[in-house]
Order: sequence, then structure tokens, then C-alpha cells
Amino acid sequence: MTTSARIKGFILIGILPALLIYLFFVVVPIFWSAYYGFFDWKGIGAAKFIGFDNYAEVVRDPIFWKGFKNNMLIVAASVFGQVPIAMILALLLTRSNLFQKMIRASVFMPMVLSSVVVGIIWSYIYHPQIGILNFLLDSVGLEHLKKAWLSEPSISMYMIMIPIIWNYIGPYMIIFIAALQNIPSEINDAAQIDGVGSTRKLFQITLPMIWDTIKVVVVLCISGSLKAFDLIYVMTGGGPAHTTEVLASYMYNSTFNVYRFGYGSAISTSIIILSLILILGSQYLMKRDYR
Amino acid sequence: MKKTWLTALLTAGLAVSLVGCGAGEKSNSPKESGASATNASGEKVKLSIWHNYTGDDLRAQTMRATLEQFQKDNPNIQLDIQGIPPDGYRARLKTVAAANEMPDLFVMWPGVMTKEFHGGDLLQPINELIDSKPEWKEGFLPNSFNDFTIDGNTYAVPMALSPTSILYYNKKLFADQNVQPPKTWDDLMNVVDTFNKAKITPIALGNKAAWLAQSSILSSLGDRVTGTEWFLKAVAGDGAKFTDPEFVQALAYLKQLAEAKAFQDGFNSIDNTQMEQMFAQGKAAMMIDGGWALTNLAANASPEALADMGATVLPSVPNGKGSPNSLSGVVGTGLGLSKNVEGARKEAAFKLIYTMASPEVQKKTLEGNQLVSYKVDLDKSKVSPIFAEVYSLLGTVTTTPVYDGRLSSAVADVMNNGLQELLMGGSPEAIAKKIQDAHDKELAMTK
Repeated sequence: MTTSARIKGFILIGILPALLIYLFFVVVPIFWSAYYGFFDWKGIGAAKFIGFDNYAEVVRDPIFWKGFKNNMLIVAASVFGQVPIAMILALLLTRSNLFQKMIRASVFMPMVLSSVVVGIIWSYIYHPQIGILNFLLDSVGLEHLKKAWLSEPSISMYMIMIPIIWNYIGPYMIIFIAALQNIPSEINDAAQIDGVGSTRKLFQITLPMIWDTIKVVVVLCISGSLKAFDLIYVMTGGGPAHTTEVLASYMYNSTFNVYRFGYGSAISTSIIILSLILILGSQYLMKRDYR
Repeated sequence: MKKTWLTALLTAGLAVSLVGCGAGEKSNSPKESGASATNASGEKVKLSIWHNYTGDDLRAQTMRATLEQFQKDNPNIQLDIQGIPPDGYRARLKTVAAANEMPDLFVMWPGVMTKEFHGGDLLQPINELIDSKPEWKEGFLPNSFNDFTIDGNTYAVPMALSPTSILYYNKKLFADQNVQPPKTWDDLMNVVDTFNKAKITPIALGNKAAWLAQSSILSSLGDRVTGTEWFLKAVAGDGAKFTDPEFVQALAYLKQLAEAKAFQDGFNSIDNTQMEQMFAQGKAAMMIDGGWALTNLAANASPEALADMGATVLPSVPNGKGSPNSLSGVVGTGLGLSKNVEGARKEAAFKLIYTMASPEVQKKTLEGNQLVSYKVDLDKSKVSPIFAEVYSLLGTVTTTPVYDGRLSSAVADVMNNGLQELLMGGSPEAIAKKIQDAHDKELAMTK
């Protein structure tokens, strides 16, 4: 046996446990739920095979597409909100003095809170009667702007994006800081000697150098946004009247509140397909090399 | 490209691990208890029981104490007791039902849940037990068994009672504004106007969970307009539809309330508990809530606030077909008996079912500020004044069905969301149509 074969064998044994767990708890259930999607099943009693009816219903279901649209809004808010803000913060906070450390810690803080806690905090900020936001508007004389933030259908979705952006900036900022610190200092020094201005340096050195990191962050952002569930579940439950419904909350409600297990499974399978398309699409778009 | 695929698959996998957990989760615990049981009397038998009395309220304490006492009194019956917090209880029970791994006895809801379990062939009737104790049977309020009875077989006896639409009002605020509790729809609109002018929220509403407007307001208001018979026909899909003018009219009344600013701002984003707090703190003059509020109010409101509270039924509507002196309600949960329990274990199970719903326990439950479907003389000194008032109110009214107690969960979900939309200014006709469409689909599936 050659050395390289032995190393390969060792790697195989090393990843086997994780791979098995992943297969059984993630990959198998995906196919399983796709299979359930072919049945009309209330969770109790016999499941009736109905072919593609559930999937056809998903495609025609206006609430599903409403959820998809809301998911897309969250994706947009994350990619164009979280990523730039995290990037700016990372560029500003690369040094490690006490002040910067404090700011960094406070930006990261929401990440260590449970999302239920975050959801409840923001529900109280937005509370129509005792909320701090309406109180603030009151005290600066802007009473006419006071609103029931989470139950006004025209704004509730945007109001939910704010905590979502706020909550997840931290980890992306840390990833960016790590990437920035990995840029070799020689390049920066060389640029300085050549007299490159700071704007040009940002666009022609810094950003291209961390482009791969940005790609990873965008993928994480998209997948994270498609999973958006916990904050919305706590803050509005998808309501009022489905206005803040996202795909995951609709899937949850269909499965565990309405007890249509087959339909819920069909929705979740559709979520996988849509996620695959989106992730592949974003990878394709960002394929071009900046270096 | 290969790598891209892998990344994509991984992320997508994460996205759905949620449903994976839900669908695949199975509990193994309850099944084993059945296997070791024996038929010979005198020997030890094992029974598993699931309940949701995990809270700290008086009712839950009473029920837990009853179970412990039963265990002490019956050393031959070994109970395997599992208490599951109320919020997750339904989902847990449905999950084991789906896996056909039900415990021997379990707290079960009347109406739709009983029907679903019966449809899944998971239950056995307890007629034998009820008929063997005629005095006990007579003790229940009229029609108490209806929602637990299918094709003449009764599957449980209620251990509580849940009226869902009581109009609670604050006597002090009403006296301050010099108005009377509303008796007619016009009265109500005037009262709403008066309180709005005085800058007091007329009616507290917490409709975030969406069932409240349906169970507490529309179930009763709708009945006033359409009459019970119409609703039962509509449910059966037999000669009545939710698109009928009378139901649309009921929706229009509800919308009228919202348009008159009867509810505080943002009622769709606060929950039932917050609404009860608003009312208890005197920030709203009225609230329309169920009997469950009584336990919460007794635990959370000050004695002075409790003394100020009054209770009545919703006002009558012009030309309504339903009785104005009624309120919507359902009997409370009962103990369901799994199909797999036989012989000596069945006898033991009957004994436990009786104990948990016996006159003594019903009395204790009532004294814990929880209404029951059993005739008991209430000692008013043991409960809060508002509880005593509701209790005497219930003696004078008839009970009508609660909408989501009769409609399938899918239709109830459409109705709940429709009402949220209605209260935000949606059109009654369009919402009525959505409800009927969902109901048609449901009827087509069951036929």
C-alpha cells in the first residue's frame, strides 16, 4: 500500500462518522419528506397516495409565493444590508484597542442571545402601547409617525428585517476581520509607496483580496435567509393574515398547526429546490474572478 | 462545479433539517408498558398516562394530587405518568398518534381531535363505565358527552368546561362613564363611542395567535346572526354555505367593530395574555375572552381589580336568528382510552377515568377557579368574585358550538387568517368565499 493510499484511507475513516450522521439526519430526511409529499396524510390514520397533487397545489398556492417573496426580501435585506454593514464595520474595526474591542463585542452580542429572546425584545420595542419606539417618537414630538409596527401589513415585513439584520451582522463582521488581517502587509506597503489613494486601495486591493470570503459570506447569507423562521415565529407567527409569512413558517404551520403532513412535506421539498436554484445562481453570478 | 453542488446541497440540507426533525421524530416510551401487563386480577398491572397538568395553577395541582392519591390507593396498578407542558402537548400527542404509539390513557380534546383519533382507529369507547354508574352520568350537565360521542359510542367524559365568548367588563369604568353593559348591538356601538371619546380602549383584543377573534368573538356573534342550525348545516355542507348573506353579515358586524376603533391599535400583534393584562389593569373597558381567562385573572389581578369585573354575554343583533341569551363553548378535555388496553388493565383504566372525573375531583377543580361540566354546588367564598359571576351566568344561558371545535383544522386556519385580514379592512364577501373554498375542498376530501 502506498503512502498516499494509506492517507486517503485514513481520511475516509476520519470523516466516516460525521458523514454517516449527516446522511441519516439531513440527506435521508430530505428524500423522505419528498416522498411524504406524494401523500395526503393528516398525521393520523392511513396516508393516501395522491401523486403530484400536493406539488401542483404548492405551485398554485398564493400564500406559498407570498412566503417566497418575503424570503426574497429577507435575502435582499441580508445581502445588501448585512454584508455591506458588516464589511464597513470590519474595515473600521481592524485594530485591537479597547474601544474597538468593545464595539466589536457589542455588534456580536445579539448572536449569543437566543433568537426567542431577541424576538421578544423587539416585540416589546415595537409594542403598539408600551413600546419604546412609539415612546421615543412621542417624546421627540413625532406622534403622527406612531404605528402598530408589527400589525400594519404595509410595513410589518420591513420592520421584521431590522432585527434580522441587527441579529446576524456579528459573525459576518468577524469573518471579514479575519480575512482583512490575512492580506499580506507587503501588498499594502507597496501600494502606499506607489501612492495609491485609499478609495483605490479599497477597490483594487482589499476587495479583490477578500473576494473569496465575500462569496462565502453571500452564500451563508442566502442560506441563512431562506432558513429565516425563529424571529418571525416569535414576533408575528407569520401573521397578520399571512403578511409576514415566510416559506419555513408556512411549512411549519401547514404541518403542525393544520396537520397536513403531506402538504408540509411538499412545501419543504419545494424549499430545497428553490434554495438549490438560488445558491447555484448566486455562485454562477459571482464566479468571475477579480484577481 | 462539483464543489459548488456540494455547497449547495449542504446549505439546502440545513434549510430543511427543521422538517426532517418534525416528520421523523418518534417516541418509543409508551409502547413497552403494555407488553408486560397480565390478565389475572390481583396481579400488578401497568398503565401509562399522559397529561398536560404541569402548570402551577390550582387546577393542575389538583389533578396531579389526584393521580398521586390514586397511585397510593391502588398499589396493584402501577402508573407510568408523563406530564407534558400544555403548549407542546397537542403536537406530542399527535406525533405518537401518527406513529401508532399512543399511551394507554391520555388527555384528549372533544370534537375534532376525538374524531381524528376515532378515524385513526386509536380509541375504544367507555360506554360500559358510564352506564355502570348512572348517578355519575346524571351529574354531568346536559349535552356534555356530545363532543366525545361518535355513532352512539362515548369515548371520554369531560373534566372541565370552556365557554369561549364571555364579555368581561370593568364595572368601575362603566360607572365612571355612566353607561350600562351593552344589551343590543346599538348599545355596544354607543358604548364604544363613549369610551373612545374618553380615551379609554373600549375592547382589549390580542389576536396575534389569530384564533381568538374566531373562537371568542365570531363564534358567538355569528351564532347570534345565523342561528346554530345554519352553522351545523354549513359544517355538514348540507344546504348552507359560508358565502350565505347571513354569515357575510356576521363578518360585516365584526368589521364594523374594528372600523369603530373598538379595539386598541396593533391588536394583531399582541397575544391573549397581554390582552388579559390590559383588561386587568383597567386600560380597557371590556374584553371578549373565554373561561380560561378566569384562572389567569385569579392568579394575576389584584383583589380590587377582580371585584370590579363583571361578565355578561355578547349583545343581541337586529333580526338575529340565534338566541341572544347564549354563548359559545365546548366541554373541556377528557381522558381517552387507547384501543390496546384490555382485560385487567381496562378495569384499572376505567377506575382511573372515573377517579379523575369523579364528583369530588370536579368540585375541587371548580374551587380552583376552573369551570366544569358537572353539577356542583359552588361555595362562593372559595373562588374569586368574577368566577362566581361567570358561574351563575352559565346557569342562565345556553351553549352554542365554537367554530374551530367543529371545523377541520385546515378550514379553521383559513378562517383565523381571514378574520385578521377582515379586522385590517378586508372585504367580508371575499373572506367568506375563501372560507367556503377551503371548506369545499375539505368536504370533497372526506367524501
